[in-house]
Amino acid sequence: MTSQVLDAKGLNCPLPILKAKKALKDLPIGATLEVLATDPGSVADFEAFCRATSNELIESTQEGNVYRFVIKHVR
Amino acid sequence: MGELPTIVIVATGGFLVGLVFGATAQRTNFCTMGAISDLVLMGDARRFRAWTLAIAVATIATQALHFSGAIDINKSIYLTPNLGWLGAIVGGAMFGFGMTLAGGCGSKTLVRLGAGNLKSLVVAIVLGIVAYMTLRGLLALLRTQIEGTANVDLKAYGLDNQNIGEIAGALFGVSSDAARAVAAIVAAAAFLIYCFKDADFRRSAANVIGGLVIGLMVPAGWIVTGILGADEFDPVPLASITFVAPVADSLQYLMTFTGSTINFGIAVVGGVIVGSFLMAVTTGTFRIESFVDSGDMLRHLSGAALMGAGGVLALGCTIGQGITGMSTLALGSVLAWLSIVGGGYLGMKYLEEGSFSGAVRAVFARG
Repeated sequence: MTSQVLDAKGLNCPLPILKAKKALKDLPIGATLEVLATDPGSVADFEAFCRATSNELIESTQEGNVYRFVIKHVR
Repeated sequence: MGELPTIVIVATGGFLVGLVFGATAQRTNFCTMGAISDLVLMGDARRFRAWTLAIAVATIATQALHFSGAIDINKSIYLTPNLGWLGAIVGGAMFGFGMTLAGGCGSKTLVRLGAGNLKSLVVAIVLGIVAYMTLRGLLALLRTQIEGTANVDLKAYGLDNQNIGEIAGALFGVSSDAARAVAAIVAAAAFLIYCFKDADFRRSAANVIGGLVIGLMVPAGWIVTGILGADEFDPVPLASITFVAPVADSLQYLMTFTGSTINFGIAVVGGVIVGSFLMAVTTGTFRIESFVDSGDMLRHLSGAALMGAGGVLALGCTIGQGITGMSTLALGSVLAWLSIVGGGYLGMKYLEEGSFSGAVRAVFARG
């Protein structure tokens, strides 16, 4: 499944969440958004975001300095 | 301990307070800007409740210290009868707006800096310079104009401080001590109920611990400056944690070290940076970060300037007024705190909408 990719590397909060929120709004239900970020706070932020908006956080991984989040647009 | 100069004791105490603050904020993700951002972007109030828990804890401990006679809170800068209401509102709004652009408030900037973020190093430097300009430099001309024209001298109304209990007591003909005690109990209870009525918050250990520990750093500050610092001949000014003027002072201290004396605030600034650094290294979250593009840099620079000037106008920041000032129940602190939150909300809307006019429209579109 190909996801839309949002590069939020180098941006600090609240921008990664803000941009992800905007990107998700334009995605059809069931589509996934992949977010790349470097802000250490983004792990907690994306967990909280998915929890609060009932979107599914399929993946939350880290490769070196980059965090990778895959979010499924549920509603 | 009797042989050590008071200033050494105060500086050590301040450094330790900062150390605990920085390590705790880094580990628990305590963040006043994040508190507003979470609320606006996702309706998540847990970090906001961490902030209000800190206020509640600080208020209870501060008022207890005052009523027990251990310190005289009226000696702090927050309670003077000189009510800078306009500075609190305009400065608070500027600070709140600025912090959303700069990735966090004054304290968060130091925490980020300690964790390796070079953007925050730039923010700290600009914040410090602009704050100093507003205290003593070019912008001080504007500041004194604002204060000169708008400040209200409460002595003209028979009040000798701006404690909200004191003011209410004078309005209703209740004794000052009783009114202040009632105000303290009501305020603390209101904040505690707001915090703990929410199950999500109660279950969020990081936020509960963060709020508790950060809140306790306020009475820790009063104790260090007001008790340990109570030298017979040269007592240090009663103060607690705040992060605008001390950042400015720290820059000046570094630059004029050979002829300068450290103070509580400067020691706290140092402690926060070191505490955050140690926690970041221990948890593997230390990383060097830098500006992404010119937009990123412009945002951080303007945010830093707004925080430096606004924080001085408002007599403090999200911590200095938002927690320390609030714990004294000063009217100016309440105005500043509300304005900071309002400015932060506007700042979030600005980031969402991409323009200032869009932000204003968005604020009024909701109601």
